[in-house]
Amino acid sequence: MNTYDIIIVGAGPGGSIAAKNAAEMGLKTVFFERGRKPGEKNSSGCGLGPRMWKDFEIMKELTPEKCPSMRAGAASRNYFVNKEDIVAGYIMARPTESVSYEPAKSWITMNVYRSEFDPWLAEFATDAGAELKTSTLIVDLIKENGKVCGVIDEKGEKYEASIVIGADGVISTVAMKSGLRTKWAQNQVTLVPQYDFQAPPEKIDDIMGDEALGVWWGATFPASYQVFFRDGFHQGLGNWMSWWDKNPLFYLNKVVNLKYYQRLLKILEAKPRELQAHLLPWLDYPYNTYTDGVILIGDAGGFPCPLEAEGIYPAMITGKISAQIAAEAIASGDVSKAVLHKFDEEWQKTSIGEEFEAGYELWNIWKALPFSPKETMSWFVPMIMEVLGGIFDWSQPHALRIRQIASHVKSYMPKATPFIMKYVIPLVAKTFEDDLDKLMDPKKIMTILPKLLELLPQKKRKRGGKEK
Amino acid sequence: MKIELENLTKRILGTGNFISVDRNKCNRCGRCLIICIMNLWRKKDDTIYIVDDYQSKCLECASCYQVCEAGAINFQYPVGGTGVVYEKG
Ligand SMILES: Cc1cc2nc3c(=O)[nH]c(=O)nc-3n(C[C@H](O)[C@H](O)[C@H](O)COP(=O)(O)OP(=O)(O)OC[C@H]3O[C@@H](n4cnc5c(N)ncnc54)[C@H](O)[C@@H]3O)c2cc1C
Ligand code: SF4
Ligand code: SF4
Repeated sequence: MNTYDIIIVGAGPGGSIAAKNAAEMGLKTVFFERGRKPGEKNSSGCGLGPRMWKDFEIMKELTPEKCPSMRAGAASRNYFVNKEDIVAGYIMARPTESVSYEPAKSWITMNVYRSEFDPWLAEFATDAGAELKTSTLIVDLIKENGKVCGVIDEKGEKYEASIVIGADGVISTVAMKSGLRTKWAQNQVTLVPQYDFQAPPEKIDDIMGDEALGVWWGATFPASYQVFFRDGFHQGLGNWMSWWDKNPLFYLNKVVNLKYYQRLLKILEAKPRELQAHLLPWLDYPYNTYTDGVILIGDAGGFPCPLEAEGIYPAMITGKISAQIAAEAIASGDVSKAVLHKFDEEWQKTSIGEEFEAGYELWNIWKALPFSPKETMSWFVPMIMEVLGGIFDWSQPHALRIRQIASHVKSYMPKATPFIMKYVIPLVAKTFEDDLDKLMDPKKIMTILPKLLELLPQKKRKRGGKEK
Repeated sequence: MKIELENLTKRILGTGNFISVDRNKCNRCGRCLIICIMNLWRKKDDTIYIVDDYQSKCLECASCYQVCEAGAINFQYPVGGTGVVYEKG
């Protein structure tokens, strides 16, 4: 029998940070990875946000020598693709004036391949004294009197510890064997297939400049992200399990086969290099994250952000907290559910907890907008393009064009108004903690909106040629 | 543009069997047929099965397992150190 203080299953970002922190607090720590090395199984976008640098000192040590794929940028590009699969327009955006965290004014994302990032992160844990066992699949838990006290690998080898941390990602053996969860519900998890394209670094720099991210908002496919690395890029998309009516690649190939996209591939001299598919939990609120002797972190606990499913930062934050709570519990000699409840209290105090406060509203709006191409994006794209691009037409007098645009936008109101009432206002109300009822009163909105629209002038007075 | 999926993902042999179907539980809803990116599921004479050589094509995404509400698909990750290797994940 191998005995430890703490066992961590999974060497992703959550597991490695938990292992590092546990080892630093003097706990005898082991963490397991089914891959030959961390980062070769868990495909990801993969963009890292500035807040990782804010909250984790070690991020400052991430350099191109350690992680050659690194590429940061300040700009993102949003492509709007209409029902006819034509790029109807795009918006390039840079950090805006209201951004308050100083470094985030000069870059929005640092992109890295997980095959480089995860091993780099795991090294901090092994340097701190944690033992990493790779090529080892954990298949079961050891229980005594119904309480978890260790793990069993595929060869039947047993490992004992006071606490087991489930950092084993979306299909979590620890979650299932501890009885915390059977399987996710279909609307709690998304499937995300993605291509990796190879492209010469100088082409990427010349053509994309400091754009680090692209989002293709489609009327015939779920929103698709594009993440640029030094010598390649990811193109992927996802949706909840219940959404798919065809092979998910059908939708991803739709993006890749857009005329505009093909042109981009051509000038970037890009070639498909890898195909990946991974599940990603996407919940409105994490639940059942601990029990006697067990804590679930990161994807295993359902922690990706409810709006965009950014999951690396939440995995690292919950990893850090889990180690802290585990150390306290072990020291007190009580690792029961009642004590580990503190894990929930602690993550709820962080920015992740704050994010999940509006979790349902954020999750809901994402589900209803970019992930509902046919129902919503099919009118949303032409509506937004009418506003953004409608004026660029000189076939008719501009004032007439403005009236045409206004009346066209008005024609989308029967679809836009219920959408705003159902998804936008609850989010606004939740964010501002306003009285939902006051804002949501449909009668009030229906009386105000048409009046506002009526204010748009129907006729105009003549200006020139008046008698003096 | 047709992207050739063969050889687009690297694998290490020796996974062993890691997916199976329980015919008694399967209600033939067909969700696994739709969800599998690699098209590894088949229906023949009202029986659902996974192709024989799935081990050399599967992406270990577990979508088939996750989507099966009847609980008819058994899934366990392949033997440690084998199976899919994402070099540019
Ligand atoms: C396509 C895609 C794009 C994404 N894009 C982004 C992004 O741009 N930014 C972002 O922040 N997040 C992104 N995410 C989410 C992010 O990848 C995850 O939230 C994050 O990896 C979670 O970290 P984790 O440590 O909890 O789990 P994981 O990274 O999944 O790590 C779990 C580890 O445990 C191992 N493991 C699993 N089971 C066992 C077992 N039984 N025994 C031993 N080892 C096991 C796995 O091999 C893996 O290495 C994306 C996800 C996907 C799928
Ligand atoms: S998803 Fe499950 S129940 Fe449905 S056809 Fe496939 S194996 Fe059968
Ligand atoms: S794990 Fe994924 S790729 Fe493999 S058979 Fe199931 S759905 Fe297909």
